[in-house]
Amino acid sequence: MSDQTDLLQGTLDLLIMRTIALEPLHGWAIAQRIQQVSDEQLRVQQGSLYPALHRLEHQGWIAAEWGASDNNRRARFYSLTRAGRKQLTTEVTKWERLSAGVNLVLQRT
Amino acid sequence: MRIWHIVTAWLRSVFLRGRREADLGEELRFHIDRETDRLVAAGVEPHQARLQARRTFGSVEAVKEESRDARGTTFVEHLVRDTRHAARRLRRDWRFTAAAVLILGLGIGVNAAIFSVINAVLFRPQAVVNPDTLVDIYQNAPGGAPTGSSYAAYLDMAAYTDIFVGSAVTFIPHPVTYSDGGPLRQAIAENTSASYLSVLGLRPSLGRWFTETEDTLNAPPVAVLGYRAWTTRFASDPAVVGRIIRIDGIPVTVVGVGPANHAASMNFGAHTDFWMPLRTLVTLSSAPPGMFERSVSEPAFMVKARLRPGVTVARAQAAMTSLGSRLAREFPKEDLKAGISVFASRDVRIHPQMDAILAGFATALLAIVGLVLAIACSNLATLLLVRGAARVKEVSVRLAVGATRAQLVRHLLTESVLLALAGGVAGCVLAWWTMRWLSTVDLPVVVDFSIDFRVLGFALALSFVTGILFGLAPALRSTRVDLWQTLRDDGDVRASGERRFSLKNALVVFQVAVSVFLLAGTGLALQMAAAGRAQPVGYAVDGVAMLQTDARYVVNTPADQPRLFEQLLTRVRAIPGVQAATLTRDLPMSVVGLRIAVDGSADGPTQNADAASIWAGPGFFETLQIPILFGRALDARDREGALRVAVVNERMARRYFGAANAVGRRFRIEPRDGDQWMTIVGVARDTWTNDLGDIVDPVPYLFFRPIEQSKVTPTTVVARSTLGEAPLVRAMQVEMRRVNERLPVLTAKTMRQLLEDSLQVAQGMAAFFTGLGLLGLTLAGIGLYAVIAFAVTRRSREIGIRMALGAGSQQVVWSVARGVAALVGVGTAVGLALWIVAVLVMRVAPVQTSGVANIQFYQPDVDPLAMLTIGLFTALVGLAAAYVPARRAARMNPLIALRHD
Repeated sequence: MSDQTDLLQGTLDLLIMRTIALEPLHGWAIAQRIQQVSDEQLRVQQGSLYPALHRLEHQGWIAAEWGASDNNRRARFYSLTRAGRKQLTTEVTKWERLSAGVNLVLQRT
Repeated sequence: MRIWHIVTAWLRSVFLRGRREADLGEELRFHIDRETDRLVAAGVEPHQARLQARRTFGSVEAVKEESRDARGTTFVEHLVRDTRHAARRLRRDWRFTAAAVLILGLGIGVNAAIFSVINAVLFRPQAVVNPDTLVDIYQNAPGGAPTGSSYAAYLDMAAYTDIFVGSAVTFIPHPVTYSDGGPLRQAIAENTSASYLSVLGLRPSLGRWFTETEDTLNAPPVAVLGYRAWTTRFASDPAVVGRIIRIDGIPVTVVGVGPANHAASMNFGAHTDFWMPLRTLVTLSSAPPGMFERSVSEPAFMVKARLRPGVTVARAQAAMTSLGSRLAREFPKEDLKAGISVFASRDVRIHPQMDAILAGFATALLAIVGLVLAIACSNLATLLLVRGAARVKEVSVRLAVGATRAQLVRHLLTESVLLALAGGVAGCVLAWWTMRWLSTVDLPVVVDFSIDFRVLGFALALSFVTGILFGLAPALRSTRVDLWQTLRDDGDVRASGERRFSLKNALVVFQVAVSVFLLAGTGLALQMAAAGRAQPVGYAVDGVAMLQTDARYVVNTPADQPRLFEQLLTRVRAIPGVQAATLTRDLPMSVVGLRIAVDGSADGPTQNADAASIWAGPGFFETLQIPILFGRALDARDREGALRVAVVNERMARRYFGAANAVGRRFRIEPRDGDQWMTIVGVARDTWTNDLGDIVDPVPYLFFRPIEQSKVTPTTVVARSTLGEAPLVRAMQVEMRRVNERLPVLTAKTMRQLLEDSLQVAQGMAAFFTGLGLLGLTLAGIGLYAVIAFAVTRRSREIGIRMALGAGSQQVVWSVARGVAALVGVGTAVGLALWIVAVLVMRVAPVQTSGVANIQFYQPDVDPLAMLTIGLFTALVGLAAAYVPARRAARMNPLIALRHD
């Protein structure tokens, strides 16, 4: 557990949006996907996942719909809205600029 | 879009709350199940897997709470929850709720009713096309205040066609009588130029407006019905167009019906019934034709003009200012030399000067009825405090299980706002009833008091503010609880520390004080009426009666009218007991204000002196017993063709002729009578007019003209008899029917009745204050009852101990009564003290209305008798409020009281 990185404030939103940009997913799957893709480096706290999902939905960037899950149960699937896609692009740009900046500082000092 | 999103989210959170909660639960459940599945698939034993999944997830409730918060709709959700909770609680305490809604309904209802009147007079906009380009133009009085315009000045203004596309002129609305075949009825007529409707950009809803040709002297009279008059007085009958009706006795052809949305040229809610050409004033109202002639000093007309596209009000003002100085140059004698003012029409309701007075009046009125609302508010605050104290335990328990004080205050405030809104609804219903009742009263003027969105908005805002106002203090107070103390035992702990000057007591004192203050207002109004009644008017009242008719309804040739009145006068003089009788125009001692010029000053006639005129028939001074101080009264010598004469009152003689004996001096009426001088043949002693409520100018500069020396026809016969006034009124009517059966009776009353009627304003004021004062006192009584009843319950243990120790029931009653007496006594004293201060302020600064008038004959006074009456009355109310609780205290069984819990 201790070798896993805590998520920076705001980056969870970015990761969620990036994850569901490819296909609609339910909450559990989003958490799993982030974990897998980051090679288990990032672990999403459930306590913050759902409030984040509901906040994003309230802001209109993602939309939720009930559908059938892989084990054939009703699950809430989240997908990116048009506004969300735009938001994702700006967030990604912002993130790249930030990480590039941080990297530079780390390398040159 | 974003706003829309938030609003729909709110709405969803309000209406789909249940479903959303279920969804959230299911979503989280699914997550844990899925995680369990994964762990099982990874080889964990199912029971262990579930436990582990739960553990990693953490608190489901916390996640739910955070998810809800993340939606930003918690505020609405809490509001809904609080409202439901409050509604449930109010339903449970329905007796309290009903009382509170009634109290607030009365308070808000009175305010909404008054506001709907003010709304009609001051706020409802007038339907006019492009109000931005419409202006009102006024000639100024010396001193610069806008008055009206003379007809000649209007023509000069209209000539500025580079500024105005069109212009119109109106004359002040005035009462007329009319008959459409049936009985005579009262109505309001307004005379305008033919251009009036087109300048406003409106169209008649039926038929047509009158034309320029119809607005000429001697043209056959025509009229356009006001839309409201058409629907209410003529049953919306389209066939009325083309019909001939009689207005003021003269046959008038109806040519059209006015626009539906336009009430009158002056926008104060009154509706004009008949629109007529300006020059019909000469035919119908005996206005002198001279009023349309070249003279710049008679500002009797109101001008409206439509600006050319692109012309600003400022540019119009500049043009009119230059016109003003030109008129001053060209007519150095006649012009008032005070310039011309231009106002955007949307800034004017009735008249710039009038508007200011009305606004002040409206503010005062709202302040007064606001006092009643203040009483209702403090009353409810009292009730809530009492109720809050009774709910200490509930509050304590909720605080103990973790509710924050802010949450509790929010709950209690929600409750009081909910109450206030219910009270607001009740108030609107009440106001609506009142206004509906008002509209069924047959007033000569139809005013539209209907309740519109402005009134509803006012009531809503009032309820909201009220709810927070009366709810806040009790909410703060009742949530400040010493947990440990209250929960420890029986909740009675604070009784011993009950303070003498508690908030509850202060509120009751306030209610009593304000009610007393309002009742004292009644005293002032009655005092004013009494002062009017006690005033020696200076003419005969005992045995005097009058009969007013309009001969034009039966005689078509004007020349026949004097003969008719001569016959009537002869017959009335022959009635047994009649000592003298005379003819006059309008009601006896009604005056018409005029402007006169005085002959004989070295530097030519004095211009523009104010005076008032009365038309006097033969025997006028004898009938009304007005003493002649110098010279002679008017008599048979003063016929047409003889020297034109007048009798002036002493005040006028002194003011304009420098000495009481002005016999032989001359004056003339400006500008109407041209060069016809009147020679003064007598000076009469000063008298009042017939308006005792007139606090502006009750004793004007007055002159009497012989009615035979004019083309004016009399309307009224006045007689004095030794055999009582009431029989005289009946006998005169009998004689009139003998002269001509069809002569209509406009007025048949005694002089005493006429004077009494003139006090209606003061009496209305008295009734208004009495109503408000009684309402306030009733509310204060309820508050008093609540406080005393509560105190008795609170002190039941103490009372029980006292009685057990041998105190008699009398002593117990006395101890309760002492509390009531203190509250009522202090309240009354404060109210009366406030009143004395108000009276002293009024005496020091006499009421000034627009600078022309001040109260000169009446000084408000502190009336000890009225104070005593009010004091006794309040004491009675206090007694009534204390009776039930005191009796309960006296009958208390000490055993039961001591066991209490």
